[in-house]
Amino acid sequence: MDSFKTLEQLIHFTGMRHGVLTSNIANADTPNYRAKDINFTQALDDEELELKTTAPGHIKKSGDIQGEIKTETSASWEDGNNVEVDMEVAKMTENAMLFQTGISLLETKIRMFKTALRR
Amino acid sequence: MDTFGVFKVSASALEAQKKRMNVIASNMANANSTRTEEGGPYKRKDVVFSSVLMEQSPVELEGVQVVDIAADDTPGKTVYDPGHPDADKDGFVSLPNVNILEEMTNMMMALRAYEASVSAFNISKTMFMKTLELTRQ
Repeated sequence: MDSFKTLEQLIHFTGMRHGVLTSNIANADTPNYRAKDINFTQALDDEELELKTTAPGHIKKSGDIQGEIKTETSASWEDGNNVEVDMEVAKMTENAMLFQTGISLLETKIRMFKTALRR
Repeated sequence: MDTFGVFKVSASALEAQKKRMNVIASNMANANSTRTEEGGPYKRKDVVFSSVLMEQSPVELEGVQVVDIAADDTPGKTVYDPGHPDADKDGFVSLPNVNILEEMTNMMMALRAYEASVSAFNISKTMFMKTLELTRQ
């Protein structure tokens, strides 16, 4: 059941990042607007909740995905805005693909469960 | 995930760029207007954009709005044309400070920004549709 949670987080954070990137594109011509982005990091769970790994082949429980909003510090245009529309569109496409990957994996997961239940 | 916030953000950008396009169109249309209601030649206008907070959680979504349409006060060209009805006593006519090339460039920029927001809107739509398709599983 753990992968459901991971996929849910993936979809949640890519959705959030999509919102941030949309704001950047909308404000591509707004003076003094600074571009924002979300950094994904994998936070380690509490040591106690971690599965014991006694052999190198053991799989560790995957940690939670965490998102951290950061403001881009790159050089700005004359009006104090540092949005680069091409970069934002590229990021957005990449992010949307990640989102769709999450959705597809979730679809597969649900189908697997349904197959298992039928037999 | 915010439900429809991203759509509002994209829509605000589309609206703002459209307003900008309208202002550019008036500038270009009035490139030769030497007479206005407030007197003197036409002054080119510029839109002033400002970001506006549309949704607070889970992330701050910032849309854009046109807060002001400001007139550009730089003086335009004056040409010697004594026969012109708006010529002053020395025979000089003040022309609007509209530069067609500048307006064209601005128009291209507005168009590109508009297109980028349309793309963003479409991507948002695809993402939502994909999520909805999960319910059919």
